[in-house]
Amino acid sequence: MVFNSYTFIAFFIIILLLHHLPFSWRVKKINLLLASYVFYAAWNPPFILLLWLSTVIDFFVGRALFTEENPHKKKLLLVLSLIGNLGMLCFFKYGTFLLENFVALTNVIGFDFHPAKPSIILPAGISFYTFTTLCYTIDMYKKRSEPVKSMLDFSLFVTFFPHLVAGPIVRPPQLVPQFEAPRKATQQQFFDGLLLLCLGLFMKVVLADGMLSGTADTVFNATQVLPTLDAWIGLFAFSGQIFLDFAGYSTCAIGVALCLGFVLPQNFNYPYAAIGFSDFWKRWHITLSAWLRDYLYIPLGGNRHGKWRTYFSLMVTMLLGGLWHGANWTFVAWGGLHGLYLWIEKFIRDHRKLKGESHQQLLAEYPAHKPWLGFLYAFLTFMLINITWVFFRADTFGKAWHLLGALFGIAAEGQPLLTTLAILKVSVILPIMLLFHWLMRDTKVLEVAHRLSWWSLGLAWSALVLCLIWAQESGSSFIYFQF
Amino acid sequence: MTQNSLLKPALFVVCLVTVVVLCFEIYYRSQGMTIAYDDGPPLWSHHRAMVYEPSEKTIVFIGSSRIKYDLDIATWEQLTGIHAVQLAIEGSCPRPVLEDLANDPNFKGRLVIDVTEGLFFNNNPPNQLNPNKDVKYFHEQTPAQEASFALNKVLESGLVLLDKDHLSLNAKLDELEIPSRPGVFMMPIFPLDFERCTFERQMYMSPKFLREPALQNQVKGIWAFFAAGAKKAPPMPDKDLDAIFASVKKNVAKIQARGGQVLFVRTPSSGPYLQGELMGFPRAKYWERLLATTGCPGIHFKDYPAIDHFECPEFSHLKKADAVVFTQNFIQILKEKGWPVSASN
Repeated sequence: MVFNSYTFIAFFIIILLLHHLPFSWRVKKINLLLASYVFYAAWNPPFILLLWLSTVIDFFVGRALFTEENPHKKKLLLVLSLIGNLGMLCFFKYGTFLLENFVALTNVIGFDFHPAKPSIILPAGISFYTFTTLCYTIDMYKKRSEPVKSMLDFSLFVTFFPHLVAGPIVRPPQLVPQFEAPRKATQQQFFDGLLLLCLGLFMKVVLADGMLSGTADTVFNATQVLPTLDAWIGLFAFSGQIFLDFAGYSTCAIGVALCLGFVLPQNFNYPYAAIGFSDFWKRWHITLSAWLRDYLYIPLGGNRHGKWRTYFSLMVTMLLGGLWHGANWTFVAWGGLHGLYLWIEKFIRDHRKLKGESHQQLLAEYPAHKPWLGFLYAFLTFMLINITWVFFRADTFGKAWHLLGALFGIAAEGQPLLTTLAILKVSVILPIMLLFHWLMRDTKVLEVAHRLSWWSLGLAWSALVLCLIWAQESGSSFIYFQF
Repeated sequence: MTQNSLLKPALFVVCLVTVVVLCFEIYYRSQGMTIAYDDGPPLWSHHRAMVYEPSEKTIVFIGSSRIKYDLDIATWEQLTGIHAVQLAIEGSCPRPVLEDLANDPNFKGRLVIDVTEGLFFNNNPPNQLNPNKDVKYFHEQTPAQEASFALNKVLESGLVLLDKDHLSLNAKLDELEIPSRPGVFMMPIFPLDFERCTFERQMYMSPKFLREPALQNQVKGIWAFFAAGAKKAPPMPDKDLDAIFASVKKNVAKIQARGGQVLFVRTPSSGPYLQGELMGFPRAKYWERLLATTGCPGIHFKDYPAIDHFECPEFSHLKKADAVVFTQNFIQILKEKGWPVSASN
């Protein structure tokens, strides 16, 4: 089920009604759990079995990991859990990719190996719920938090429908305590949640799907040589689409949970206003960045073992982070390019430190004291991030080079492709979006909403809802569902 | 503003949105506009699922836009008692749909294929885009999408303003027809009054369209635009045409092997459009060869005086009154061909 569908609206109304009826807290949690299974099964019912399997294994293994004192048995349990979780992810998400690469490798070394092409369907949200359960297992192993006491709470933690399919990726301490005591949304939470839901749907339905996706698809699917203008407009369109699609989903998820009285972690914080790449990763898909930092970068050594180890950890984290997004070398290249950016940024930062300047201090001062300089840095960051999107969106390196050639005028003069209307849509939406990010970079949308007069907020909110109705787009999947 | 006060703006939103939506609805209805359904993949898939009904009670129609205008489903069902499942898709080649039905072992029914030569004998990917999209959607449709479709039907049945092709934000922006750079392809915009779609997927022209020559000329202009594009395209190599005949023969044979029946129909066109089609697609080379290759019966409108005289308002499709007459005579011709077209058969 997707948030931008009539089915979800009907489903959500029923859930809200059930959640506000005078049932016991346990019954309400069972309702939420069953609803979450319905939400998930509405895509492909058989895959619910995988979710159950993952939940049951991790609940019991997690508990055993916490209580087991024998270090060997503990390690064995951890390895078994990792094999179970990552094995499932590898099979469904990377099975075809691994086989293709294996075949390519065997062919290169001279073996004539051509197995039948497997037909594996990717279960929705498997990358997200695998990471959710993995962090629980690792936390239990390291005794970072207490094991979840009830199977019901654990199942709800893994399956809670607002975050199940595309995050935010939650940690047990963020959500499990919220299930332990009865809770109902306050009036403020309820209407804040509704506002966020409308805003998220506006971002996804009106802007990402209605205004930008067609232009991005046209340019990235083009086989002919493109003029530089068309290439840049298509890239900007995707840059806007990927943010509005994914941040739109996260905003909906946070809003839906808030309407039920639950608080999910923030996942986006105006990333296109980031000054530098480490700042970008503190603002883009925050819950994934934090997961990768805590469960990959730091275990790899982080910045505690010298400069070179830090560079190594950074790059490995970004390469694997890229691969998490999809079973394709282009995603690895995307991660690698981000790793390279982070290397350069770290190099400059270290160099400045040697000169006695605090880079962080300088960055923090830009928006306040030199806004235009700060904006310039943010714009430069945005432009460099755009280059990475080429590899993220293009499904082959051939297409990526093709587009890069057009972007930098290396390719021959191409045939214009985009209509003036398509160019205008991108040219209007992207600058407004960037400006909005810049102006909002140090605040939150709900803070601004509560500062506005009731009628100006009402007018803005009405405009969002009317645009949603007018767009008449519904039901298309969110981009991150495929990851 | 206190922290609890979003209730007030929320109530304001409910009131304002309701008023604006009602105003638009009243305005559109005052302009004589009627309910039209979004003829996208969900509606197509809804009808595609009906091809498994018993073959003596159902006939499936595939093709391009003509059969969607020319077959009056109410007349058909009233006279025959047989359910007409309309799977034709405008502006497209029906071969992907034929292939889908041929490869579906559960489809054993009767199939009428409308042949618009310029689209049927065409390998341009854009002409196969929508059929492929619809077929893919049907096979991958989730329970959530089916539920959304059911809810959407309730809303579409009540609100004129829900008309994605003509009244949505993007449709209104497209209507501005902002000129583009030379060489950029701009899809022509069909007038709203030309494209009204029922839930059964029958298309019809509104009374306004039939009254106003300007609207008819707008569509004639669009046909001229496409014809000019087609003239510039190189002729199809013989081997490609042979491959098309071979694929149609193979797919028809698959359906027949399961006990199904297939019939081809060439629905009416008129004026310069018809002249162009006769020149571009000589009967002997296309229509006659199609029947000979597949061994299927065929009904060409030019062969039957009862249906050879229609004047299409925009040269290519029948108005609703003529669709009724065409359908009545079409049923009669089918009977003459030995096709059982009454539910009692």
